[in-house]
Amino acid sequence: MSAVELSRITFRYPAADHDVLREVSLTAEARQVTWLFGPLGAGASTLLLVAAGLAPGLTGGTLAGEVKVWGHRISTREGRAALQGRVAYVTATPHLQLSGMASSVFDEVAFAPANLGWPRERIEAAVPGALARLGISHLADRAPDRLSGGELQRVVLAAMLVLEPVAWFLDEPTSALDGEGRALVRALLAAEAARGAAVLLATEDAELGLAVAHEMVLLTEGSAVARGAPDDLLGTELMWAIGAGSTGVAELARLAALRGPVRHPRLRPPYPLTFEAAVERWR
Amino acid sequence: MIRLAGVRFSYTGAAVLDGADLEVRPGEGVALLGANGAGKTTLLRLCMALLHPDAGTVEVAGRATTRLAPEDLAGEVGYLFQRPEDQLVRSTVREEVAFGPELLGWERARIIEAVPRILDVLQLAGDAERHPYDLPLPRRRLVALASVLVTEPRVLLLDEPTALLDRAARALVARIVRARAAAGVAVLAVTHDPVFAIEALHRAVALHDGRVAADAPVSELLGRGVAGLTLPPHVRAAHAAGIRGVSDRMEDLAEALVGRVGTAGG
Repeated sequence: MSAVELSRITFRYPAADHDVLREVSLTAEARQVTWLFGPLGAGASTLLLVAAGLAPGLTGGTLAGEVKVWGHRISTREGRAALQGRVAYVTATPHLQLSGMASSVFDEVAFAPANLGWPRERIEAAVPGALARLGISHLADRAPDRLSGGELQRVVLAAMLVLEPVAWFLDEPTSALDGEGRALVRALLAAEAARGAAVLLATEDAELGLAVAHEMVLLTEGSAVARGAPDDLLGTELMWAIGAGSTGVAELARLAALRGPVRHPRLRPPYPLTFEAAVERWR
Repeated sequence: MIRLAGVRFSYTGAAVLDGADLEVRPGEGVALLGANGAGKTTLLRLCMALLHPDAGTVEVAGRATTRLAPEDLAGEVGYLFQRPEDQLVRSTVREEVAFGPELLGWERARIIEAVPRILDVLQLAGDAERHPYDLPLPRRRLVALASVLVTEPRVLLLDEPTALLDRAARALVARIVRARAAAGVAVLAVTHDPVFAIEALHRAVALHDGRVAADAPVSELLGRGVAGLTLPPHVRAAHAAGIRGVSDRMEDLAEALVGRVGTAGG
């Protein structure tokens, strides 16, 4: 059994005239980071909402197909009850994910545990650790509505981390983060997978995906078109054929290849993906 | 142009900005870098007269903001919010983009000409009759940008203009911003995207402890490391392999790379 199993998912938003997901099937394994990558409108955000059980419940719309998270059907009341508090969803718009009920960052991160009925001692033991992992211990007493975009993104991640989730569904979790924050999240995702969670990540940051993902799933126009190791896929022309692109290093290598007077062997695909590989090729 | 002198600002308690000085000239693109919570968005809001300094002065498009409200700057200063949902109010993309020009009292013929043109530039022509909120978030950002650009403001204040965008859209936004600066617009952009900064902008300033702690050409500042940002891997790789372009922009590096590999043999 895979930790996350999506079978033939088709989804349409209310009042939309087309399906944003079309018969997508994919699995995500425990102890792995699975990266969803594709051009704008490919459907990665919707797929995460479906996988987390939030679409169509929260969004409206119509869903066909089946979603299982650790064997539980997340679209059913029983399935959600079994998974309660163990599934982390992180939206690309952190300000919309705040509870709105907490007057401090500490209380925001304590909010879900309190609702789940954790004893006070357990909450007070767990929250500081989650804040520290996201580098926001110094914000514990601050009001959530007074934080910057990047600080909020860290708070939302801490509020999920505290739950020790068995499955993570993350939509552009580094979009507002500074360089230090991105490095923290990179380490966090790797650590969460190592702890045993299944991590499903959508990011347009190919460097982040390459660094943390064990597997990538290429999406375009609502369909999954390829799956494999990022190392194997990111340097191939397929990435540009579907409009997804690749790492900055690969982008530069390809731009040079397209300009080269001849198909020079050192410029041909597969393109180098990283600093090290590029230096090796170009020196 | 934008000029901040000795700006101090606090919401409640400790000062977010304290002695911030900055000048952005017409035709200049400046990246505003800094750690999360450094006060980047606050500085941008001061430039739009959404906030006013506790001390010091903010001058934008030749006017001190002291007694101004944001609407006094409309048309001359364009502001892209960090959250596009803060600034979309109409029920189709076309109406949304026409809204600013309407408020400025543009004649209908001028609006009818300008709106499709900017939608074209942002590759939104196919979405003109859709409701902005039916679009995916990244596309909504492009709608917000279109509604900022349509009035051709002399000053552009952009808060994370490439966040959430895919590769193609990031490149598009970089091209547009670069072209606006080349046409004489003063651009101040908060960003955590070093590639965007290199591709679109000239200078970078780093906010730290409430003031501008560093001010240098983009590549130079990123090369020193600021707020955990560094030169992107493709630029570092090119430099390490001895490849120097006219600039660190992708096109210039590619040109230099072709030259080098073309002459170095297999």
